[in-house]
Amino acid sequence: MQRRHYLDIFYVVQKALFLRELNMRFSSSRLGLFWTFFEPFFQVLLFILLKIFLFGDRASNFEYAVFLALNFTAFNMFRNIVTKSIGSFSANRGLFIYKQVKPIDTIIARVLVEIFITSIIILMFLFIGYYFEYDMNVGNFNLVAFGFLFLIVFSFSLSLCLSVANTFINSVKTIVKFLMNALMFGSAIFYSLDMLSEEVQAILLYNPLTHFIVFIHSAYFQVIDSSPVDYTYMILWTTSLLFAGLWYYIKLEKRIISL
Amino acid sequence: MIILKNVTKYFQTKEGKNYILKDVSMTLPENTNIGILGRNGAGKSTLVRMLGQIEFPNKGRILSNKSFSWPLGLSGGFVGKMTGRSNVKFVCRLYGKNDQEINDIINEIRDFSELGNYFEMPIKTYSSGMKARLNFGLSMAFDFDYLLIDETLSVGDSRFKKKSKEALMKKIETCSILLVSHNMKTLKELCDAGIVVNNGEISYYEDINDAISEYENINKKKK
Repeated sequence: MQRRHYLDIFYVVQKALFLRELNMRFSSSRLGLFWTFFEPFFQVLLFILLKIFLFGDRASNFEYAVFLALNFTAFNMFRNIVTKSIGSFSANRGLFIYKQVKPIDTIIARVLVEIFITSIIILMFLFIGYYFEYDMNVGNFNLVAFGFLFLIVFSFSLSLCLSVANTFINSVKTIVKFLMNALMFGSAIFYSLDMLSEEVQAILLYNPLTHFIVFIHSAYFQVIDSSPVDYTYMILWTTSLLFAGLWYYIKLEKRIISL
Repeated sequence: MIILKNVTKYFQTKEGKNYILKDVSMTLPENTNIGILGRNGAGKSTLVRMLGQIEFPNKGRILSNKSFSWPLGLSGGFVGKMTGRSNVKFVCRLYGKNDQEINDIINEIRDFSELGNYFEMPIKTYSSGMKARLNFGLSMAFDFDYLLIDETLSVGDSRFKKKSKEALMKKIETCSILLVSHNMKTLKELCDAGIVVNNGEISYYEDINDAISEYENINKKKK
């Protein structure tokens, strides 16, 4: 068998794992598949109804449905990347008998699958938006795209840390799933920061995810104030998580493989 | 050629370090089928897993410019939810086969493993014998310099056993095997040389019969 370059191996392994993850996701449970694609719509619908119920049909200076769709897409992507990849080492343990499959490959494959699913959801939202003639003008498209990319890197870094931790400490997964629910309420997803008092804003801005969400929706809707976004804070979180994750991963890779 | 350079491997237990290999240096020649012998727990499987690079020495290095198969054990890397076909496809993709090659390999394995309709059904519906047959067929489909086999030759019924032995004999013409087995007859049939793993040391014998008699000596002493 001829020797292959490590980038070729990486590509081949990613392709195989990606298709396998998709196959598993689409063939395992119909209900799960349905929920994957319709959860964002239910979320958006629920919060629109909630807003009408609580505040009446008061007009705001941006399209609230589009605002919700954008934020939930970003948040769901973050949540799914983290919660799906956290168990990827244990779920793919059987594959480590093939030496070209490294544990980190299984995380990357799951991240790619989530990006793929998110893209489909974005297309579905766009289709519905055009059909119902929502105002979907993007303020700064490049900045929105950059925000998503940045969020992907952040999510991956966090996943890597948590996956390594989850291998050696029990209960990490349970805690993370619980925290995700809290994060949904504390990340400026169904409200914009300027609706809140300064004290509450200051607390929420300790949460790095708030910065990412505000970054994305203030780039989309130019009317939303982008000044709360602290780039240094976002970069600091991302790089620290990425370096910590990689450092622990490299130290423990062999132990994860032969566990 | 496989070179072991000051290889130390131990498992940490409550009573201290349990050594499998203790500072072992040795060179194994090319184009030789090698049988690996040792008592249960001596570290045969660990040695095979280290050669397959899914277990790593605590100290020292194992060097080789040859390609090794994954250790063919009883439990393959199959996903229960996926069909036999998609599992085979996955492994083919891992080894960088293109669509044409994948098709050929799938047909070959489907015929060899004699699973019939089960080939299109999820692995979780398989019996252990069927799983082993698929696993064996899969391992025969790729070309490696070394096949690492960990006691899997006794799969299926007697007819399939005969068939798989024939397939393996044919395979050996183009590649070498490193075989872990407790079956002396199989070892004598398939291997030229032997390794005995015992008490953190391994010794190499150019003739498999010498290795077998040494192994039997060890067994007598332990009794």
